Amino acid sequence: MQRMELHELNALSPLRAFDESLGGGLGKGNLGVLVSRHGIGKTACLVQLATDKLFHNEHIVHISFSGNVEHVINWYKEVFRQIAADKPLKDASAIYNEILANRVVMNFSQENISIEKVLGSLETLIRQGSFNADAVMFDGYKLTVASEEDVRKIKQFALDMRLEVWFSVSPVRSNVEFDENGVPSTIYKYEDLIDALIGLKYNEEIDKVVMTLVRHEGISDPKPMRVTLDPKTMMIST
Amino acid sequence: MSDITKMRNIGISAHIDSGKTTLSERILFYSNRIHAIHEVRGRDGVGATMDSMELERERGITIASAATNVKWKGYSVNVIDTPGHVDFTIEVERSLRVLDGAILVLCSVGGVQSQSITVDRQMKRYNVPRIAFVNKCDRTGANPYRVKNQLVEKLGLNAVLMQIPIGLEDHLEGVVDLVKMQAVYFDGPSGETLRYEEIPQELVAEANAKREELLDTVSMVSDELMEAMLEESVTEELINKAVREATIGLKLVPVFMGSAYRNKGIQPLLDGVVSFLPNPSEVTNKALDLDNNEESVILKADGELPTVILGFKLEDGKYGQLTYIRIYQGSLKRGDELINTRTRKKLKVGRLVRMHADSMEDINEAYCGDIAALFGVDCASGDTFCHPSLNYSLTSMYVPRPVISLALNPVDKKSSDNMAKALNRFTKEDPTFTTYVDPESNQTIIQGMGELHLEVYVERMRREYKADVETDRPEVAYREAISQRADFNYTHRKQTGGSGQFARIAGYIEPLLATEEDKDYEFVNLVKGGVIPTDFIPSCDKGFQIALQKGTQLGFPIVGVRAVVNDGSFHPVDSSDQAFQTAALSAFREVYEQANPIILEPIMKVVVEGPTEFQGNIFGSINQRRGIIVSSTEDGNTSIIEAEVPLSEMFGYSTHLRSLTQGKAEYTMELAKYNRVPTSIAEELRKNYQEKRKAR
Repeated sequence: MQRMELHELNALSPLRAFDESLGGGLGKGNLGVLVSRHGIGKTACLVQLATDKLFHNEHIVHISFSGNVEHVINWYKEVFRQIAADKPLKDASAIYNEILANRVVMNFSQENISIEKVLGSLETLIRQGSFNADAVMFDGYKLTVASEEDVRKIKQFALDMRLEVWFSVSPVRSNVEFDENGVPSTIYKYEDLIDALIGLKYNEEIDKVVMTLVRHEGISDPKPMRVTLDPKTMMIST
Repeated sequence: MSDITKMRNIGISAHIDSGKTTLSERILFYSNRIHAIHEVRGRDGVGATMDSMELERERGITIASAATNVKWKGYSVNVIDTPGHVDFTIEVERSLRVLDGAILVLCSVGGVQSQSITVDRQMKRYNVPRIAFVNKCDRTGANPYRVKNQLVEKLGLNAVLMQIPIGLEDHLEGVVDLVKMQAVYFDGPSGETLRYEEIPQELVAEANAKREELLDTVSMVSDELMEAMLEESVTEELINKAVREATIGLKLVPVFMGSAYRNKGIQPLLDGVVSFLPNPSEVTNKALDLDNNEESVILKADGELPTVILGFKLEDGKYGQLTYIRIYQGSLKRGDELINTRTRKKLKVGRLVRMHADSMEDINEAYCGDIAALFGVDCASGDTFCHPSLNYSLTSMYVPRPVISLALNPVDKKSSDNMAKALNRFTKEDPTFTTYVDPESNQTIIQGMGELHLEVYVERMRREYKADVETDRPEVAYREAISQRADFNYTHRKQTGGSGQFARIAGYIEPLLATEEDKDYEFVNLVKGGVIPTDFIPSCDKGFQIALQKGTQLGFPIVGVRAVVNDGSFHPVDSSDQAFQTAALSAFREVYEQANPIILEPIMKVVVEGPTEFQGNIFGSINQRRGIIVSSTEDGNTSIIEAEVPLSEMFGYSTHLRSLTQGKAEYTMELAKYNRVPTSIAEELRKNYQEKRKAR
């Protein structure tokens, strides 16, 4: 009964349009990056990507560096509440409990933790905790100041462990230049390692956060995506 | 002392081993309540005064919350000692209900640990203003700054340092008061003499920076202080006033520090208690008016109004039967007449006492806001006593359901009698501890919140009541439920001479949704046209409730059922209350199987904390036990892993965890929810139950 409801929910989800813009989704072994200025809605976006995967019975690890697990968990609650709000779900809280069994939040509150440690803990969870992760969401990873070697390690890890990896990235320094798609210049040093680079930028005229696929499968040819973000609810829609 | 503004009711809440008992002991010493200091695990064999039970003394932990009154600089402070172990959560919660403020004690090395998080969550639930005390600053690795940051990050508190340490670890000498901007040293053999001096040269810059931080943080929540800062007219009084208001308003947590063991920092902490924590009149307390549809009414801390009192703790000690009370409204004199609003029984106030940890003082009168104790009152903990003109009940305290049970077998007749006495007492003291006799096995079963919870009571039975009992293996308290709708149409008919019995009811049963999980049962009456007379509708309701008491799968209560009655018929002579009860009961039993019954098991929220190097072992141990890892948090070398694990898999976990982590990890658990048992395990459980029944 619940499976049927989920099926419908998934078919109607705006995330289908998101995946389509990426030629059917990012796929395992690949790195996807969401970039923007602070406060545009990257975390909301990341949580919606993760929730969509949970609805497809995938296993997700959400990695945060904030020191506050509760905060991350509340994001998931809120996104689920919004998705379930106007849908005819018979027993929303039962569905929520069910999908949450496939999500682990890993939190690293130590400052400047090395990527080896993060990947080490992730591997421990997957192997010793028998958690068959399908995707990993790096929430607020300081990619712009990471070394190329670090990013290479993440890429290799994604390939070895068959993981789809997403990052939400805000620049660390305040004097960073953003281009017309909301992408900071500091990210380009790894563009060869990134399989999908998506810029988020607020557009005042239409009062939406527009998403641009800046680089995809090795080609830098910015294309607007078919989805936008509502700046108030932070929800993705077509 | 009847000046309510000079009264404080505080608790000391903390992680086990953070030095809470030592701190309580020092507070009693400095306020001249006791005349010598004993250590918790003391070599002198006397033990700390607050640890009043023999068992607690032996284990070095505090289980029961003793209330004790101390005087500090003209203030009357009631200290309610709260237990630190989560298995005794109800004790903590009960204490929190009667406190107006609390000291959150933290270890300067261990910092905010999983149990501090649990305790803090409870304080948030009861809106208890708190100040923090970073204890054990003399220990190697002490870092009060780190602990303060953890209060902000892990507990989300707006914590602010009121002091900085002068030296740390072995070199701890005293503290710098950031409000007065003075160094404070603790002289004399037991640190009883305070010496104020200028701030040591090497700490001046640090002190200035932290004072700045203090002012910034407080001014964010105090407009008055903000203005004063702009006008550069900040005074000590103004800072104290702003900190007090923000703390009471739950917007700020002032952080003090020191070492109870080394007698450093306790007197300034007591100053903090009277300066920053609320007096009873500054806290809003509500009661339910039982004469007015349980409408909530606000109690006024006014001694002239009719009295409202909560009996929050019973103790059967060497003085006889004591009921600890808190006066929320009005006052209390010997000879006053009160009414217990639960039992409607009247009582006359006989002996009234104020308690110290191990001695007591007779008083003639207790005032509004105060905590005292009554002698020889027959009641249960949580009962409300009122002036006969009122019929109030203080908001029912949140009582979690028991999750575990244990069968007791007394070895002889004498033990059996003593056991009965003990159980009678314990169930009155602790609402999470229940007992019943299983009609099938004729065994006495006790139920509670965890293995340790039950173990402690069994120990107490042996020691205090000389009841020698043997125990079976602890068993999980399962629940039964239904998973789909099933319709019924049942006729109960009986004709055996004399008057017959007749009742027919029709309708359906269906599962309540997870969103309605607070409810165990709902009865819906959709009968039209009087096909079942209104008088017999409650009989149907009652019949279903009887059926729900014991399911046929495992013999556990059935929960989450909506029973709907929409049709039926009756006989003008043969229908009766009894006939409709029987009809409902039988109708339910008949369709239970069709409703596809399932078994629910308690799922515990388990928080494991240990060195990161053992993370893999911990993950593995959770996975082995059908657990789900919810989150893991790494901070330096420490990992906190939060998981949801079925209680049935948690037996023996402490031993297992110890061996996996060389004893370096610890865990806490509390009930999270009930979940469906996987089909294969449910089959196994049903099989065992049927075999057990046959064996009898």
